[in-house]
Amino acid sequence: MQQKYTRIQLASVFVLLILIGCASHDVTRVEDYNQFAIKAAQAGLWNEAIFRWQQAVSIDPDNAGAHNNLGVGYEALGKIAEAVSAYQRATELDPDSKYYRINYRRCRLHIRRSGVDSEETQPESSEELVEN
Amino acid sequence: MQKKIKSFILQSYTQPKITCMLVMGLLFLSACGNKVTRVSIPVKVQSEIDINTYSNFAVLPFVSEKSSAKLGELPIEIGTEIAALLRSSLARQKHFEVVDKQETARIMTGEVIEEELLSDTERLSELGHYFEVKGIIVGSYRFYTDTQPARYYGERYSARQQRYVMDYQDYMQKRYLLSLRIMIIDVDTEKIIWDEAYQQSTAEAHSIGSFVFSQMAPQEATLRELSKRAAAEFTRDISPHYEQEDRFLMR
Repeated sequence: MQQKYTRIQLASVFVLLILIGCASHDVTRVEDYNQFAIKAAQAGLWNEAIFRWQQAVSIDPDNAGAHNNLGVGYEALGKIAEAVSAYQRATELDPDSKYYRINYRRCRLHIRRSGVDSEETQPESSEELVEN
Repeated sequence: MQKKIKSFILQSYTQPKITCMLVMGLLFLSACGNKVTRVSIPVKVQSEIDINTYSNFAVLPFVSEKSSAKLGELPIEIGTEIAALLRSSLARQKHFEVVDKQETARIMTGEVIEEELLSDTERLSELGHYFEVKGIIVGSYRFYTDTQPARYYGERYSARQQRYVMDYQDYMQKRYLLSLRIMIIDVDTEKIIWDEAYQQSTAEAHSIGSFVFSQMAPQEATLRELSKRAAAEFTRDISPHYEQEDRFLMR
């Protein structure tokens, strides 16, 4: 009888370990995607960064950080409508983060200042715009 | 108070719990610090004027302000050259069309451009109709220099003291300053829609000897360079352009 209980205990511990392993594997993947995307963003490769953040969001849809970063990526590419909804989602998931609020506020300020509204504003080629 | 702090530090050595808490607190703080990364993103900034309405311009030669101290030393063509620089800077933008130099010279033949003309919006509007443009760009410039003694602090090796010692050197700092006033006049309404002064400066270091020579040297090249910068700044203001803004990424 005692041997049976020990077996069950062992099996349950084993299952638990597998589950923890799977969960941590997902977390690690999201973190890896995020780290890679940040490096890509810092190098100016915004399309690549967005792709990674999209993958992170698809794995963990409740990750406020990934939504926020995705918003930054969209904004950098001039996809204002997508940026706004990503920032919105980030602030909904974590209303206490001041950084998400700052990003969201700056984005809205930019919209108001430039009168872009939610229309798509893909950056034009550098020849068409005055360099900063 | 000091005693309390001392006793707390001593306690922290003796009691491992406090040490652990301190270490954990430090780790927590350092983890918080690395959580956010600041990145710069390009954001599109719209023109400060209505570029759909004001899409074609005529640029008239710039006039020297009467108060300019260096008026006698600069040739009159400098005003024409500033206008040419502005014309080429605007023409590079796809949003604007600019009346070329020859056409401007042809229409302006016999016309005297003086400082008084800048306030005569009726006459400027009339000229704008000849050019068949929506906006006419006029302005004035003031180019002057100022000199003041300055001191440069550095280090030199003292052979007597066998070490580096603090040292200074006096020199003359000559600054070239340009104030370029640029105005846009709406040809249809005769109203001034843009009136901005652009300040540009550059500095040179001189010894007494080189300073005397620099006073005699021609200054057109410096003025041209400063004008180019001012023209670029103006063009940037009235054209859609990108600016860098900070955003926060979460690690």
